[in-house]
Amino acid sequence: MSEEPILQVKDVVKKFGPVTALSGVSIDVHRGEIVCFLGPSGCGKTTLLRVIGGFYSQDRGDTYLDGKLINGIPPEKRDTVMFFQNYALFPHMNVYENVTYGLKVRKYRKAEMAEKAREILTMIQLDGMEGRYPNQLSGGQQQRVALARALILNPKLLLLDEPLSNLDANLRAYMRDEIIKIREKLNLTIIFVTHDQEEAISIADKIAVMREGDIEQIGTPLHIYRYPASIYVADFLGSANFLDAEVINTDDKGNSEINTNIGKMKINLTMNKFKPGDRGKAILRPENIKVSLNEPADKSSKGNVLEAEILKGTYLGATIMYEVKIDNEVLTVEIRNPKENELLAPGDQVYLQIPENIHLIEEDESKNTASQ
Amino acid sequence: MFQSGELTLKRQKDSIRHLARNPLQFSLALIIGLSLVLFIVVPIIYVLARSLGAAEGVITLEYFQNFFDRSYYYRALSNSLILAFTVTSIVVTLCFMYAYLVARMHSRLIATILRSIAMVPLLAPPFIFSISLITLGGRRGLISQLLASLFGIEFSIYGWTGVILAQIIGLFPLGFMMLENVLRSMDLNLEEASSDMGAGQWKTLLGITIPLVMPGILKAGLLVFIKSIADFATPMVIGGGLPFLATDAYLLVVGQHNMEMAAVLATFLVLPTMIIFFIQNYVLTDKTRTTISGQSGVTSQIKMHRSIRGIFTVSSILSAILIVLAFGVIFWSAFVVIPGVNNTFTLDHFSTRTGWSAMGTSLQIAAISAFIVAFLGVIQAYLNVRMKIYGSRIMEYIALFGMGVPGTVVGIGYILAFNQPPLHLTGTMTIIIISMVLRHLGVGLEAGISKLHQIGINMEEASWDMGASKVLTFFRVVLPLMGSSFMYGFIYTFMCAMTSISAAIFLVYPGTTLGAVYILQVAEQGAISRAAAMALVLISIVALCLFTLTKLISRTHLARM
Repeated sequence: MSEEPILQVKDVVKKFGPVTALSGVSIDVHRGEIVCFLGPSGCGKTTLLRVIGGFYSQDRGDTYLDGKLINGIPPEKRDTVMFFQNYALFPHMNVYENVTYGLKVRKYRKAEMAEKAREILTMIQLDGMEGRYPNQLSGGQQQRVALARALILNPKLLLLDEPLSNLDANLRAYMRDEIIKIREKLNLTIIFVTHDQEEAISIADKIAVMREGDIEQIGTPLHIYRYPASIYVADFLGSANFLDAEVINTDDKGNSEINTNIGKMKINLTMNKFKPGDRGKAILRPENIKVSLNEPADKSSKGNVLEAEILKGTYLGATIMYEVKIDNEVLTVEIRNPKENELLAPGDQVYLQIPENIHLIEEDESKNTASQ
Repeated sequence: MFQSGELTLKRQKDSIRHLARNPLQFSLALIIGLSLVLFIVVPIIYVLARSLGAAEGVITLEYFQNFFDRSYYYRALSNSLILAFTVTSIVVTLCFMYAYLVARMHSRLIATILRSIAMVPLLAPPFIFSISLITLGGRRGLISQLLASLFGIEFSIYGWTGVILAQIIGLFPLGFMMLENVLRSMDLNLEEASSDMGAGQWKTLLGITIPLVMPGILKAGLLVFIKSIADFATPMVIGGGLPFLATDAYLLVVGQHNMEMAAVLATFLVLPTMIIFFIQNYVLTDKTRTTISGQSGVTSQIKMHRSIRGIFTVSSILSAILIVLAFGVIFWSAFVVIPGVNNTFTLDHFSTRTGWSAMGTSLQIAAISAFIVAFLGVIQAYLNVRMKIYGSRIMEYIALFGMGVPGTVVGIGYILAFNQPPLHLTGTMTIIIISMVLRHLGVGLEAGISKLHQIGINMEEASWDMGASKVLTFFRVVLPLMGSSFMYGFIYTFMCAMTSISAAIFLVYPGTTLGAVYILQVAEQGAISRAAAMALVLISIVALCLFTLTKLISRTHLARM
């Protein structure tokens, strides 16, 4: 990615009265990427999207679109288009008028307008609906009209505000594929906002996890899930067990040993640099832990093997969630594709296999305190 | 909405059977229905009949012939229409700009101040502003004298200028309230989407905002139109002798006892109301477009375009100044000997026994009427929504129509209908209260209906389920839950009853007068300062009651419902 990013956000601060919504956010978005702002409500993700779209003007910091400074430029003069959560279709205009609104404002000739509209409506499978009014359309159709209205302007940046949150499960899957397809067809750059981690992981090339007005971590879904930078990120994407850990020894390949509340463990420290004596948090994903009633035969090849007691098992269909106890520590373990009749009872003594690719993060006081 | 004939028939049968089993509901519905017919429909029929010569026992168009033969009356009609059109277009334009500015403003404080200014005229009888205008622009007025001494121009506010200005101030709150409401309930994402697509703000304003709030604009316009045409006091004080329908109808009754011609004029007054009522209920409701769902929750931060902000701000500041000035002048005239001539401080204007006792009577009547409206509103709404009594829709229409009928028409109708047995009510306080109640019942009813829809029936079902009877449930569950709509009906009626004048002026009898009527009478005699002083008293009473009531509401649990 040596190419200049299409969007650069540098140190943007936005306050609403006493509330700081964005506290110095920076991010680069490259041409053709789908980037997702992920976070709980109140983390500033929608504010950031609206700053990029020109609906809010930042108090400090710069935004560049395609190399040009766009601070203070109103939405109508920006080459970005927003897809609103509630679609914001004009109720007094029919589908055709809604879709061609932006072209009409730009004084396109009628024939050209009709041609472009036909093209986009065919692509989005709304041909034949031109004369309908928004209140005569289903939710999914309304959403597609809103999408067509945005796409027809061929924006440099498409901004989607919670695009899937108003839809039921079937439509969600359909729309998700649609967004990915459209990106491929039009080579669009898309930024979208969501609080739903599954939505983020399944659509985005890059996820920016936001917290309290700043981006906590940015990276590919795979990377963020595998190597969360903080407890907050690990908790927000999936669930995790956290163990206080201290590094005992480590070699130059990263093969190390750590001490935790549940005993010594072998781990691979590939991502972060640790010295013996450093303290941190070990992150154990529930689905990475294996449970067996019998002691595994070849212990050394199975990572760390620990004895534990089942406290509680919850059957969830595709998975079973166990709470297990080791010493005084309670861990959550998730068993995928459980075999039939395999629900373990409270009190059962089991063996846990914990792989060596445990992720260890530095303990950062300021970031760990708030993440309950 | 539309049920098949069979269903309707079944519903009728059901509700009749239902009523037979519930004598209490039946009698309540009967009483309310009869009162609505007797005190809203019957008086209007009397007026129409009288205009067609009912007094002589024949049907004749003679009086209408007279009306069109005499250019004076004919001009009253055209003047009233011209006035109403002019005032409506000005008020709606000014109010739209004002409401747009307030609704889209970022500063809460300034928005609150501007809103309060726009609403103050509600506290006073609308003709009060004629008094201020006379103080400023009358023959000895401040501005007139200034113009005369500086440029030698002879300026007089009497006539068209005065009537139009006074009505603009008086009707400003009505237009503002409705327009602010629609502008606020509009989905701001639509405006944002439009500018996002590249439309400038003028284009967005003209192509998106105004078309979307058009039903609201029309509704506000129709209401202002009705009010303007029905206002007889303003032209009387500041009209400078120009003929207007409502004013001349009053003068015909009081001065000449020419009931026939008064009835003809009243007919022309009531016609626009009927037409507008029809438009509102049948034409407008069908055209209102539902906005596409979705909570937006975000406030717009887009800066208003400089030209829009400039024009809207200037016009709104002028409107605000006009209102503040009008009020300031009343205040000032009340405390000086002769405004502009002898500016010595005095309290003399406040020492009038008749005036104070009129205020007392007003207070009494307003409180009683307000309570009845609030209570009946809740009951009628309950019968309407929950009991689904046959004919409830018609009752609702009559109540709403009653609110729109010009007071002059009601006044004349009451004099015609109730000055002889079997219902000889003129000359009593009862008839004044009845007129106040029936003319405002629609408000209590609508507030109750919307509240009931909001509450949902579950809570009542829970109460029945636990063994409470319907009557008990009504008093223990429904009534407390409807507290806020009760208060709304009460406050609205109270304010209107304190400040309204048109129907009441026909119904006051020797020895008893009302506050607003007293003020009009002294203003007409030219005692401007006395009128101002008593207006100030009236405004203070209304403001104080309003303040206490709203405080009371916010202190109690009512605020949370």
